[in-house]
Amino acid sequence: MGRNQTNLVQGTLDLLILKAIGDGEFHGLGIGRRVEQITRGTFKVRPGSLFPALHRMEEAGWLASFWGDSENHRRARYYRRTREGERQLGVETEQWTTISRAIASALKAN
Amino acid sequence: MRAFSRLRSALGTLLRKQQVETELEMEIRSYVDAITDEKIESGVPPAEARRQALAESGGLEPVMQAVRDQRASTALESVVQDLRFGLRQMRRNPAFAWTAVITLALGIGATTAIFSAVYALLIRPLPYKDSERLMEISAAMPKKSQYGGTLISPDFVAVRSSLKSFESIAGFTPWGDVNLTGLGDPIRVKVAAITANFLSVLRVDPAKGRNFLSSEDRKGGPAVVLVSHRLWQSKFQGNAAIIGRSITLGGKAWTVIGVLPAHFIFPDFALEPDLYIPADLDSDTSIGPQIVFPMSVIGRLRENVSLEQAQTELNLFTEIRFKSYPAFYKPFVEGSETDAEPLHRYLTGDDRRPLLILLACVGAVLLIACVNVANLQLARSVAREHETALRGALGAGQLRLIRQSLVESWTLATMGAVLGLAIAAAVTWLIRRGGMPGEFSSSSHIAELLQVPFGKMSAVVEVNGWVLAFTAGLALLTTILFGLAPAIGASRTDLRMTLQGAAPRISSGPQQRRLRSFLLIAEIGLAVLLLAGAGQLTRSFINVLRNDSGFDPRPCLTAQMQRNYTEAPEKTRRFAQQLLPRLQALPGVQAAAIASALPLERIGPNTAIVPGDGPLPPIGERTTSCAISVSPEYFRAAGTRVLRGRPLNDEDHADSAPVAVVNQAFARRFLTGDALGKQVRTNVGEMNPEAFTRRTIVGVVQDVRYNGMEGTVEPAIYLPFDQVPDTELNVLLRTTVEPGTLASAARKVVIDVDPDQPLFDVETMNERISQSVAQRRLMLLLIASFAGLAMILAGVGVYGVFSYWVSQRRQEMAIRLALGSSRPELLRLIVAQAMLLILAGGVIGVAGAWFADRLLASMLVGVKVHDPASLSFAWILMTLIALLGSGLPAMVAARTDVNSVLHSE
Repeated sequence: MGRNQTNLVQGTLDLLILKAIGDGEFHGLGIGRRVEQITRGTFKVRPGSLFPALHRMEEAGWLASFWGDSENHRRARYYRRTREGERQLGVETEQWTTISRAIASALKAN
Repeated sequence: MRAFSRLRSALGTLLRKQQVETELEMEIRSYVDAITDEKIESGVPPAEARRQALAESGGLEPVMQAVRDQRASTALESVVQDLRFGLRQMRRNPAFAWTAVITLALGIGATTAIFSAVYALLIRPLPYKDSERLMEISAAMPKKSQYGGTLISPDFVAVRSSLKSFESIAGFTPWGDVNLTGLGDPIRVKVAAITANFLSVLRVDPAKGRNFLSSEDRKGGPAVVLVSHRLWQSKFQGNAAIIGRSITLGGKAWTVIGVLPAHFIFPDFALEPDLYIPADLDSDTSIGPQIVFPMSVIGRLRENVSLEQAQTELNLFTEIRFKSYPAFYKPFVEGSETDAEPLHRYLTGDDRRPLLILLACVGAVLLIACVNVANLQLARSVAREHETALRGALGAGQLRLIRQSLVESWTLATMGAVLGLAIAAAVTWLIRRGGMPGEFSSSSHIAELLQVPFGKMSAVVEVNGWVLAFTAGLALLTTILFGLAPAIGASRTDLRMTLQGAAPRISSGPQQRRLRSFLLIAEIGLAVLLLAGAGQLTRSFINVLRNDSGFDPRPCLTAQMQRNYTEAPEKTRRFAQQLLPRLQALPGVQAAAIASALPLERIGPNTAIVPGDGPLPPIGERTTSCAISVSPEYFRAAGTRVLRGRPLNDEDHADSAPVAVVNQAFARRFLTGDALGKQVRTNVGEMNPEAFTRRTIVGVVQDVRYNGMEGTVEPAIYLPFDQVPDTELNVLLRTTVEPGTLASAARKVVIDVDPDQPLFDVETMNERISQSVAQRRLMLLLIASFAGLAMILAGVGVYGVFSYWVSQRRQEMAIRLALGSSRPELLRLIVAQAMLLILAGGVIGVAGAWFADRLLASMLVGVKVHDPASLSFAWILMTLIALLGSGLPAMVAARTDVNSVLHSE
């Protein structure tokens, strides 16, 4: 995997995580599964990139976390979107739309 | 916002580090546990489920590390770690740390101090509003003129009304020393005549009272005067009631109309007047036999007009103006030009070169300091190569290693900079103290010394924001200079080689050795360069002091007096006649004399000289000379030898035959054969330039230096004071006692003869000499101390490198000794190695000096550039010091104890 591709994926990952969390509260595994689900299995997020992203986004103030009990009664860390994160989702969605339109039109052009 | 949030969270993470770590582990663990649970539920055996879950997620620790690397706090934390590590290293090796910090502090301190002066004098704008639009307009005459640089008053009036490039043009003319009487003891004040718009051109308003009115600087204007803040404080006790009061200036009543602001600096630093009077300008601009005076001209350039445009207009004006001169005066201005240049440049032009030379010198010292510390770092980095390799092997990235090394260097540089700043602050404080007006300061010798070249601007030499920024920049620059090479060198360490090279003593690799040698050569070269410069200046200084001054400075007291310009010559003569016997009668006085000029004083030609009998040549083609009126005992009082004929004596009075004594230069220039008995015609002191007096030369005296110790000796003719009285009256007393003790007695004698006559600048002749060479002495002292510092630092550098080298090769030395090498051979081996580097450094230094010493050319007296004596002196001295620096460790090596070394391996 080249470096450029990683960067692209990282930017996309933030967007996908913000989208996947929605207005709910999820732990790491839940978020990973949801990303997989909403991208119809295209993106499988490995913990090696998922957790760094979650922590980074928390530092940036887009996510807030708290400890809670999971479905099978284990302690787990849950994440929820902040208002800052909502705004960020708007920004990133717009950026992504612009980029994907641009790329789509570039690919159509001969 | 986002950066702030990240920083806050980073700090939080740092503070709750343990908790954050635990929570991270719990989080990842619960993730793996959840997957394991799912796998168990789907029927995988528990152990296998756990294994698969771990494999899929990539392991606990790697994930945790990935999260840690992602955190903002990680970067911050590792810098803090580096810093801590650096400080620990320094504590572990305090000798190294102190050497490095002090070396850097000396370099940075010296550089910062000189930069403070450079900033205050060359960079800082003049203390006038919009000062960048102020221009000095000066005349550049091909023929030497006593009005050098200034415009004559009719030209000034013409230029003022015709130039469009300037918003307004102002001028001033120094009036020199004038007596202020009627306010207790009479005092001498310096007076300048200024145009009415002078202050408004500078955008300055009087602090009290009013400015001159535009009608007041005309010819025959009212006798009104502006007082400087300094004089207002010292003589009028800062009393506001002074406005409207009448004072007696030069025997005439003047009305005070205003006081200048406290921090006003006159735009001619040498002048600093106490009182300002309106310029007495005639509106008639025609050139004729009327009285003209020189005007220094300052113009304020209009907005949107460039200097080039102004210069073009000025050229045009000059051309037309000089064409309109009457034919008779045209030869005076043939080929003259009028130039405009920024006032700042005009005022600081003389300081520019010496200051920049000093800056270059301290720069070289700083460079040497950096090289020294770099060498120390390199040596240490080799000693720590094993450690570095180990850290690399344990996973520290190359960048991290470089950064760690740079953080260490930066710590050293910052400590050096803080200490250096303290040094600089102390030096500038001394300069400032020295710069306060004489009466109020209790200045030390050092302060006086420093103050001389900075003059009136010394008050603004300070450590300010710009200087602080400069120092911070230096710290950063030095970090890069001395830190980067060792940092990269260390990070390049080949892990395998270093770790496998099982010998615990690793000598440095060829690359590092080359780098160290190169740095050593560079520092020796720089030191030689500075030493050569210091040598040339020292020789020049000695030559200046050795210059035959033509007078004997030993017990001799000098003082100045200025009679009112309007005084009748008979009255001045009577004053002198009454004064001389009383001075002569003072106990301890061997000979008392008066003269219109003292040795070393700045004088110019003031008489036309026409030798022989022929017709008078026309004005403009006459030769000129300095004429000095002296009393009979003058040559005895000054200690000037009479070479031929006789000195002037009491028989040469007003009614006797006009006579003169000349110096050797005069005899050479104007007379052929024996000077005695020859006749010359002079017109000194005459209002009518055609009124010549025929004088017989009765004696020849040795050449006396005027215009400072370095001035060339010009022809001078001495006339009896009785025959040609002058309003400038200087006193010379040759004493049998310490001359300084006679100062108050002399003052009392003068007051007794004329209660309105102040005596000023009372100094011994030695003090006058010392002042006249003060700037040269300061330059010499500074450059010599920088050179000395450079030499010592370079010596220490050589010592450091070679003691390290020796310590790394103890094993080799021991083996050589064991195999039958003799101890002197060992000594030779090391010294030969050192000699190669020292020679290379010397050659580079001498070559550098050969190119650079032309910068000093204008400061050299009796020494040529590329002075072989100075160059070889510098080379030999540095070589000796460097040999000493390498010889000491070599001796240690030669004493190597074979058994202990070989056993310890």
